[in-house]
Formats: sequence, C-alpha cells, structure tokens
Amino acid sequence: MTEDSGGRRTIAVEGISRVEGEGSLRVDVRDGVVDGVALTIFEPPRFFEALLRGRQSTESPDITARICGICPVAYQMSACAAVEDACGATVGEPISALRRLLYCGEWIQSHALHIYLLHAPDFLGCADAIELAARDRAAVERGLTLKRTGNQLMETIGGRSIHPVNVKVGGFYRAPARDRVAALAEPLHLALDAALATVEWVSGFDFPEVEGDYRFVALRSPGRYPIESGRIASSDGLDVSPAEFADLVIEEHVARSTALQARIEGRLDYLTGPLARYALNASELPDIARHAATRAGLGAVCVNPFQSIIVRAVELVFACHEALRLVEAYEPPEPAAVAVPPRAGVGTGATEAPRGLLFHRYELDQDGVIVAARIVPPTSQNLITIESDLRRVAQDGLALPDDELTWRCEQAVRNHDPCISCATHFLDVTVVRR
Amino acid sequence: MKGHDDPGAGLRIVVAGIGSEYRRDDGAGPAVAAQVADLVGGVTDLGTIADPLDLLGLWDGADLAVVVDAVRSGAKPGTVRLVELDIASRPEPVGDASRTTSTHGMGLTDVFRLAQAVGTAPGRVVVVGIEGSDFAQGTGLSPAVARSVPQATRWVAELIGDAR
Repeated sequence: MTEDSGGRRTIAVEGISRVEGEGSLRVDVRDGVVDGVALTIFEPPRFFEALLRGRQSTESPDITARICGICPVAYQMSACAAVEDACGATVGEPISALRRLLYCGEWIQSHALHIYLLHAPDFLGCADAIELAARDRAAVERGLTLKRTGNQLMETIGGRSIHPVNVKVGGFYRAPARDRVAALAEPLHLALDAALATVEWVSGFDFPEVEGDYRFVALRSPGRYPIESGRIASSDGLDVSPAEFADLVIEEHVARSTALQARIEGRLDYLTGPLARYALNASELPDIARHAATRAGLGAVCVNPFQSIIVRAVELVFACHEALRLVEAYEPPEPAAVAVPPRAGVGTGATEAPRGLLFHRYELDQDGVIVAARIVPPTSQNLITIESDLRRVAQDGLALPDDELTWRCEQAVRNHDPCISCATHFLDVTVVRR
Repeated sequence: MKGHDDPGAGLRIVVAGIGSEYRRDDGAGPAVAAQVADLVGGVTDLGTIADPLDLLGLWDGADLAVVVDAVRSGAKPGTVRLVELDIASRPEPVGDASRTTSTHGMGLTDVFRLAQAVGTAPGRVVVVGIEGSDFAQGTGLSPAVARSVPQATRWVAELIGDAR
C-alpha cells in the first residue's frame, strides 16, 4: 500500500488465486469513495466461434467441449441442443434423462471443487486448500469424495471424466449398460450424505452482511429444477424461449477487455448461476434439498453473494439426489441417439452450466455446415454484475486494512465462481486508493 | 482414459498430458502421453488434463505418475527435461512461477502437496517438461516441438522401464 500527500492510497496485489482462468481486476478509490472497478479480460477473441465456421455441426459438441476443462458437458449439451433446434430434431425422454444424469456428474464435481478447494478457504482464513487440509483433513476429504463421485458419473456415461467422448448430436454414441449405471447408486448415496454435511458445514461460516440488487436470469422448467432444458426467466418477469433470449442479449466490447460483456436489451446487467437458479426455481427442489436450505437459514431468495456457497451446497444435495433418482429409473435408451438430418436453419441451445446459463446459437447451411456460431458463456453474462458487487464490497470494506480489503475483493469475484478461462486467462488484482 | 493391460507389470503407472491441443505447443503434453500409452504396456493415459486439479482422483493410488506439460523457461524450443517432484525436500510452494500456469491458481506442485495432505498422492511424480515456443490459439505443434515428441516419448518409456 502507498499513500501520497493527496490522501490517495494504492494497493497492488500480484494475482488472485482460486478462480478458474486468468484476468485482472482493478479497484480505484478516490477520497474514500470507490469510483472505478474494472475486471479486465485478456481473451483471444472468440477463437472457438471462428473455429466452428465451416465445420460440420456434428463436430460442435467435441470442439466446444475443449473451451473449458471444468464444464465440458455444459458446452456439449448446449451445442447439441442448438444443432437439434436448427435441424428441427427432438430427442425422447430416455435420452434427455441420460443427458441430465451426465450433467449431474458435472454439477457435482464442479460444485465440490469450488466449495471445498476454492471458496471455503476464504471463510476459514486459510490461504488455500492445502492449509485447509492441514487444519481439517476430513472436510477436504469429503470434498474430494464428492468430486470423485461426479467424475465417476461422467466417466460411466461420458466415456471419460474430462472432455467426455460419448456425447453426440441426437444423443449418445453408446448407452451405458444397466449394471454399470446401477453401480453408481452406492457412491451417490454416500455423496448425498456428504452433500448434506456440506450444507451444514458451510452454513456455519461467518458471512459479511452484503445485499446485492440482482436481476436474476435462469432456465425455468416447470416440475423440475432446471439443468439441460427450459425457457429462460428473469426475476423481473422475462419469460422467453432460448432463441428469443439470444435476440435480447447484447454483447458489448469494452476497451480494456477482449471478452464481451452481456446485457439484456433495455434491462441492463443480470446475474446467472446458483443464486439465480435458486431464486427462480427453489420451489422445484426436492424436499431433501429444500429442507437442507431451510435448516441452513436460506429464505426463498438469497441476495448475499457470499452465501452463494450455501446455495451451491444445496444444489449439490439436489444434484446427488437427482442423479440417484435417474440411476434408479435408468433404462438404456434404444436407440442411443436419434437421427438429426441436416437442414439449413438457425438454432439456439441453452443449458445451466454449474456457474450459470450457457447458450449457443448456430446458423447451418443445407449440408449441416456451420455458417455462423455464437457462444455466450455464463461468466460473460455475469461480468457486469460481478463488477457491481466489487464496487459495493469495496465501498463497504474501505475501513478494512488493505490486505483484508483485497482478500474481500477476491472473495467477491470467487462468489460467482467465474470460469474466466471460458472467456479469458489470468486474474491479477490491483486496488488503487487515491 | 486408455491403456492396455500388461500382466507382467505390478505397478500402477499413469501418464497425463497437461495442456490444450487448441493452443499449439500447449498440446505437446497430451501428444506425448498418448504415444506413451500406445507404446508401453500397462500404462494408463489419463487423457488431456486442462487443470492440474483434475489429477486429484484420477492419479490416486498410482505408484508412478508421469505428467507431461509444455513449459516456457527460455530454453531452446523442443528441449525436454525430466524433473522428479520431491516435496519432502521442499515442503513449501516452489514460488509464484509454479502457480501462474494453472487456470485455478493451483499448480502441479500444490496439487501434489494437497494430495499428500489427504493421503492420496502417487508414490512418485515425474514431470516431463517440453519447451514450447508458440502458445497462440490454433492447432498443431511447432516444428521443433513436434520433433521432440518421439524423444520425450522414448525417455518416458525408459523411465517406466527403470521403475519396474
């Protein structure tokens, strides 16, 4: 920290950790008031959108899965949905159920990773998960057990846990055998217990009293908590199809960043992710998850971004419970994929990645070749809101010592589990007080 | 994940390539890992690892884990180095430089330390670094790095042979 004769202070931090990806963050404070917050992104602009042009649409699940090592299933599912929408194809319930089961695996491993290894250390005063493991080995082991169960699900259904290879437009290359899926029940029962313990654990953390003024956006799918399909709803009354939503979202380029920032036309910024899903769909949670939320002190809506860790834990309970339900009801889809004959058209696919809404829109020619592609990851949609959070958190925390304020700002970013590698690389933090 | 059984091999040996084939030379690790699994019996290829944290769970219980990654140290492109991770002699993080290559801010050394803290670390971890020169978006290795892939593969095969 430095302080000059004009009462300006500068805090510089070389690097924020435990955020997926790379980028930088700068907070400017002048005369005791935060007057600038900038989350800067260094993304090579939309390489994958360009890469897809001229490729067969059937290649899109495998190509876009490589955008992110943490949520490849989300990219595969949104890609499949977009191509199927463009070609006028629909898959039946057995294939949808298997997709949902695979997606549960990704939610479980991603949420466990974020809660235990990236987010919890913030609340316990640990520099990282290694320090947390030294202090509370059982907790970290619980997190790793959960993560392993998610990976196991992805491996059984997707062929492997990282960048699954069994997903194709129309369904799957091969439906996993009944006994292999049935074998997932035992680890999932243990994972469900671990998830319930997770909710109890994180609800005991101390949370700063911060309230965000959020416009929540999430999929809504009557009768079930949304993962792989649904219409898109917002907390201020929006209720549109994915295609209509894609028309409404405006992505803007800001000079400091090579990533795009998304807004809904005429409605400014919005937030996707666990807080949004919960706010718009809590009533669809199974009893076990809803009761866990109540015991943890969550109301119908949670607007404290720091408590997103509790919501994520509740979603962990949901994902384990839902996966168990799907495992017990599993019948191998026959055939494992429906035919998706190519045709010229435009299609949109939207699904809920662990960290928020992810939509793809493809324009195909009559041979199924991709003419244009648009991929809007959750972090691009959340960037403006994350900056608003940072402004609020920095302003509320100005009395804190510099190192604590910096940590608080890093936390404010991690609250939303940004997958910045989907949109960027590196994140360095600089707080400048003038 | 792929590999083939070799009944004569008692050790569990895994090989992982860290990187992305869509970032040119960053694909060197996965390329070598795949070739090693094809060449050497009884070795499991963990697949392309985008983040060292993904090794948790996948490498549990291995006697030997060989992790192949592209590096940028200033050496001549294509230079191959083998380094044994030895946390016992260096209990603290090896410095910021080891962290910044990770998308989660947790580099391979830290992941190994975390695995040790919870008792799931492989018996040995050997890192194979291949000096890259082009990490731009795109596919295909630069010529010098492509030429080094067979050499790195041979060295890893010899390392595994010695371990047995």
